[in-house]
This record gives sequence, C-alpha cells and structure tokens, in this order.
Amino acid sequence: MRLNPLTSLALAGATAVITTAAASWPLSLAVAAAALALAVRGGIARRLLPAAAAVLVPLCLSLLIMHGLFFPEGWTVLVQWGPARITVEGLAFALERAAQIAAAVLALLVFSFSVHVPDLVAALSARGVQGRFAFVLASTLTLLPAVTSRVHRIRQAQESRGLVIRPGLLHRATAFRLQAVPLVLSLIEEAGTRAAALEARGFSNTGPRTSYRAVPDSRLQRTLRAVLVLAATAAVAARLWLGRAGT
Amino acid sequence: MAEAHNSEGIQDHGDAQDPAQPILSAGIRTFTFPDDGVPVLRGIDLAFLPGTLTVVLGPSGSGKSTLGRLLAGWLPPGGGGTLHGFLELAGTRLHFGGADHPPGPRINPSAWGRQVGFVPQDPASVLSTVKATVAEELAFGLENAAVGRAAMTAAVEQTAALVGLTELLEHNPVQLSGGQLRRLAIGCAVIAGPRILIMDEPFASLDSAGSARLAGLVRKLVKRGTAVVIFSQVVDAPLLEAGTWLVLAEGSIRAGGTPAELLARPGMLPAGIRYPSGPSGPGQDEAPPTAPLKPHVQPRRQATPAAPALELRELSFSYGAGDRTPRRRIRRRGAAHEPQGTPPPEVLKGISLAVHAGEIVAVTGPNGAGKSTLLRHLNGLLRPTSGQILVGGVEIAGTPAGVVAQRVGLLFQQPRDQLFERTALREVHFGLDQLYSSTEAGERASTALETVGLAGSAHGHPVELPASSQRLLALATVLARNPSVLALDEPTVALDGNGLARLDAAVGAAAEEGAAVVLVTHDLTYARRMAHRVVTLEGGQLLP
Repeated sequence: MRLNPLTSLALAGATAVITTAAASWPLSLAVAAAALALAVRGGIARRLLPAAAAVLVPLCLSLLIMHGLFFPEGWTVLVQWGPARITVEGLAFALERAAQIAAAVLALLVFSFSVHVPDLVAALSARGVQGRFAFVLASTLTLLPAVTSRVHRIRQAQESRGLVIRPGLLHRATAFRLQAVPLVLSLIEEAGTRAAALEARGFSNTGPRTSYRAVPDSRLQRTLRAVLVLAATAAVAARLWLGRAGT
Repeated sequence: MAEAHNSEGIQDHGDAQDPAQPILSAGIRTFTFPDDGVPVLRGIDLAFLPGTLTVVLGPSGSGKSTLGRLLAGWLPPGGGGTLHGFLELAGTRLHFGGADHPPGPRINPSAWGRQVGFVPQDPASVLSTVKATVAEELAFGLENAAVGRAAMTAAVEQTAALVGLTELLEHNPVQLSGGQLRRLAIGCAVIAGPRILIMDEPFASLDSAGSARLAGLVRKLVKRGTAVVIFSQVVDAPLLEAGTWLVLAEGSIRAGGTPAELLARPGMLPAGIRYPSGPSGPGQDEAPPTAPLKPHVQPRRQATPAAPALELRELSFSYGAGDRTPRRRIRRRGAAHEPQGTPPPEVLKGISLAVHAGEIVAVTGPNGAGKSTLLRHLNGLLRPTSGQILVGGVEIAGTPAGVVAQRVGLLFQQPRDQLFERTALREVHFGLDQLYSSTEAGERASTALETVGLAGSAHGHPVELPASSQRLLALATVLARNPSVLALDEPTVALDGNGLARLDAAVGAAAEEGAAVVLVTHDLTYARRMAHRVVTLEGGQLLP
C-alpha cells in the first residue's frame, strides 16, 4: 500500500513524540531498531546513516559528557577526577536520553528520506496550505540536487576547457573554488528568469488551487492519522500528569 | 474556469471577441534597460488581431527577445526597464512613462499570463523545477487557476498529443532533450488556452517531426481565433503562412507586409536573417546568403591511413550504468517513477565511427535520439558502458576529461551551460594558459574573439549577450584551443545569418587545417551542405 505522505508524517511524528514521552529505554531501542530496519528495507539506509550520524554523534557525545561526568544524583562512583566523576546513574541516564533522542531522530529521518516530495506538496496544497509555502518546502528539498547538478554542469564546462580534477576530496575542494563564483552568479540570474515564469503561470494567485497529482488516501489512513495524533497527545498529557503526580 | 476544452484540446474563446479588435497592441516610443542610456526599442507600433499569425523577423541583437518578453509581461515596465508608451491587452490600455504618470501602472503578470501565453527562447526557464513529471509540469498553470482534476487530466492529455509529448508524460522534465524541452515549454504556454501566444524562436532545435507538429498547432490556434506571434531570425518554412511579417532591426520596426511582398523586394530583410534551409524555401533558387563551405580539400585518409583522428569502437552507453553522475541526478529527482529492478535502457548501442583529419561528419537524428549523449563521450565527459574511444589512435579511458580536452574541443548544446566567466575575454582565456605561454594565451583569446566577430564585446558579460553571440562566444572558447577534434552540438541553433556565416567559415577553416569535425544537428539540410559524410543516430544505433 502506498502511504499518503501525511500518514507517514503522522506515523513518524507520533512515534517521535510517544517515544520521548514514554522515556523507556527498551521502547527507544526498539523504535530505533525498527526505524533502521525500515530504512534498510526501503533502500535509504545509505543516505540516512551519514545524516543520522551527523546529528546523533555530537548530541550523544555531549550527553555522555554532561550527564556521565556531572550527574548530581549519581552515587555509585566508578572514576573520579576532582569535581568530575563518572557514576553508574549518570551513565545510565545519558544512555537512556541518547536512546530516546536516537529513536526520535531516526523516525523523523526515515520519513524525510522516504517521502516523495511532489506527493507531500500535493497533499499539503490539497489541504489549503498556501501554494507559496508548499513551493518553498519543495524548493528547499530539491535545492541541494539542483545546486549539485548546476555545479556539475559548470565543472563539465571547465573540464572541457582543460580543468583536470584529480580524484580525492582535497582536489575536488580546490576545484570547487573555481566553480563557486559562477555557481552563485548563475543561480541568482536564473532565479530572476524563473520568477517571471512562475508569476506568469499564476503561481502567486491567492485564490484556491487544485492538484494534478492524485495522492492516495483512504478512510483507514484518515482514521489512523486521527488515532496517531490522539495517541501522541495522550502520551504527552500522561507524561505531564505523571510528572506532576510524582513530585 | 468557464472556458471549455473542445475535442482537440484547444480552448474556444467564446463569441465575445470582436475580430476587428486587437487582443494585444503596443505603442512603444522607447524602452530602456536600467543603467543603460540608449533605448533598446523605439518607435514600435503593433496590434495583434484574433485569428492571425504575425512573424517578427530580426537578426540577433535586434531586440526581438526584449520585445517578446515585454509584450508577454515577463519584463514588466518599472523594475525591468523604463517604457515610454502604452500596452493594451483586451481593451485595457496601460500608459507608461511621461511626467503625468510618475510611478506608472503595474502589470499583474498572473492576470497578463492568463491571456498571453509565452514561450521564451530558453525553454528550460519555463520549468517550475518542483514538478516530478512532464504531466505535472504541464498542469502547473491549471493547478494555480484551480481547474478541476478531470478537466486538468483531459487538458494535459490533449496538449501532450498536440505537441508530441504523449510518450514522455511520466518522464522527469530534467531528463528531456533540448528539442523535447521546447515542446514542453510550448505545451505549458498553450494548455490554458491563452488568447494570444507569443513564441521566441520556437522552431530552433525542433526536429522535422516537431516542426511539422508545431506548424500544425499554430494553424489550429489561428483557426480558433488565437493571435499567434512568432519572433524569429530564421525564415522557417511554416512562417511563410503568416499574414504579416514585420522586420525588426536595431530596436525598431523597419518594414512590414505580407511574406510575398517582403520577399519580392530584395534588400527588405536585413542580412542577418537566415533563409529556410528546407527544400521548400523561397531562398532556394537564389544564392543562399551562406554559400556551402564544405572544404574542397578531401579528408586526409591516405596521408594517415593507420590512425583516424577519432575512432569509436562498439560504443554502448546507458544512464545509470557506466556513469555515476547522470544516474545520481536522475535518481534523486525521479526515483519514485522508475520501475525498480529493470535495467536502464541503452541510449547508445554498439556505435562504431571513424573520423579522419580534415573530415567533417554530421550526426543527425530525431529529438531525444542520444546525439548529445554521444558527443559528450568524445572528450570523456561521459564514459561508455562498454566500447572504446580513441583520439589520435590513443584510447582515452582513464584519462581525465580535462586532459582529453587538450585535443578535443566540445561545443555544448546550450551555450549557457558552457559559459561561466564574467567577461567574454576571460571566458575565452579560461584554461588557455595551461596550453600556451601567457602572451600567446592572450593573443589566442583575442584572435578567437575576432574570428567569431565578438572583438567589440570582449569586456561584455556573457549572460548579457544575445543568444547568437553566446553561441559564437562558446565557439570561440573551443576554437582558441586549436583542437584536433572538434565536436559541435547543434551549432546552428540560435545563430542568425551573420553568425551562421562565421560558424561555417570557422568550421571550414578548422577542417582545412586538419581538424576532424563531428557535428550533431537536427537540421538535415545543413548537415548535407556542411559535411563530407552524414550519419543518422536512431534507436541508439548509427545508420549510414
């Protein structure tokens, strides 16, 4: 079944919220594992893992440093250097938080890497989200590929005139210096022309608009979305209530 | 939207319109670009009646594109430039300039665009860039006008049939070839049923099937009451059917009349206008302005019997297999539409070709046949899935494109893809210092600019040059490197008569000096005139 992008958004969002609210490390680990399994099955693991690492590694390291070393409630001391001490409780707390964040981040990343952008834009505009907003969202998500292909074209033009790019990150970075100015100039120049075309095609009309792309939806998916939103709200409410009852 | 699509997919405009009342008229005393002292347009009075075809002919740099964009609302007076005069659309006249209207009225591009369809010279600039398929791109304007899905689907199908895109509806627009992209731009302009359609060089880069289809579409639109205006520097055969020809030179209308009247009086059309290269053209009996320049020297097959200057051996290629980058680009933007698991179709299938020094070989074929893909293999920008490419008897596999470029010069299909520097001189100079001493590099750059007639624009910005000059500048960057193999992708597109003569002379001279020339063109007549040998690329294979 092809999911409506709003359904997958609701799934990812609710998962992230509920996992955070539940704050239970077995659940967090299960969710993170499930997200990774989905990514592997969907063939997006290769792109997802570097992005996840970029977000999670610094976050988890700072959690470990903060809570692992300076956890006031910790009393089972493993090692101690002056005021800094590693406690079992601190480590457990840091790991629990790390698992929680990893689960939420992975769930949202799986969504953003697997969502089909045109479907999302169509689903949003069908729900009355302003065309401009939907366009900005779509442009943001397609900006990187567009810039990449533009750099590629400029580089091809330069290679055709004798620019030799040796393999390796350093060489590429040096060569990019030559492409940066043409890239920026051409993007600005193109933006001007593109704006005229978009305006003439009625893009800034304020009235209602329709969508050519039919986004799959069903009663089941609509119900599921409602249930997910309710569940997430309930989880947050329960957490707040329990928190208050506990103190 | 109250207007209904009829069975042929073109909207009727109803009975409200008066055939004697122009849909669009303009009185341009002057139009000046910001920061530019001299007006680019002056003394132009135009009126376009329903159900007529008007052709504005003018050489490159005459102001055609500026006039077209001004009429289409793409260059709104105010921000885009200063207009003294008026524009009148469907009975509403807007006066611009003059002391009594200090700020001047503003054109609402969206309201203007509902009545005026426009196909710019660069078809890629029409694309919204966020649509994943040709069908959605066609529907973009209708979505913004809140047309219902059933009507939209019907309109998309009918428009696709009209412009010849039915097979490509589910393709990603970024994958289209140059000619296919132009068809898409035309489709986007006509789908909403504008009352006037303005097209800037619409026949450029269309193959013969595409041209015939566009000519048919224009006839249909005119019959239904649309005013069609075509700006051109080439007298393509379909333009002979126009009711009125206007001659634009140096920013003003120099002459007007029926095609027969203007063709009968010699000297009425400026030298820069190209005559039809098709067999039915009127210029056929007279000496064409650009005489065949096929070098009289025969290719030096005997002199170098062992090694052709360029040789392709059993070359095969498919996107997504041999080359990393095209595959990535396509995958990212259109992933969901590609069937999983099926191997990508082969664009080139076992192509063998030998080109000797001094020989000119033309490769022709329909839009989307893979001509540009083939050419990009010659200097190593694309690498074959299988097969070999030999330049001067040496295989180029493993040699970086930048090194192959010392011997192979490639003229890109879109000059704008080839130009990236700030001035024309810097553009030609790029990379020359690797081959020559700095004095010689400077001399070569200046000579190359002179060869293509752009010495006067050496310090101009490439983007601001007219399309024909951009093409010539790109050619100069190739010629300056004195390559032994010259690969030209659609070199004639966007060139006016003067530019074509420069191209012919340059290609002829290069071949006489011993360069092997491979030129790709959709224009069979040009291919026959220029080349020693014409081969056709169709279905991924070369046919003699």
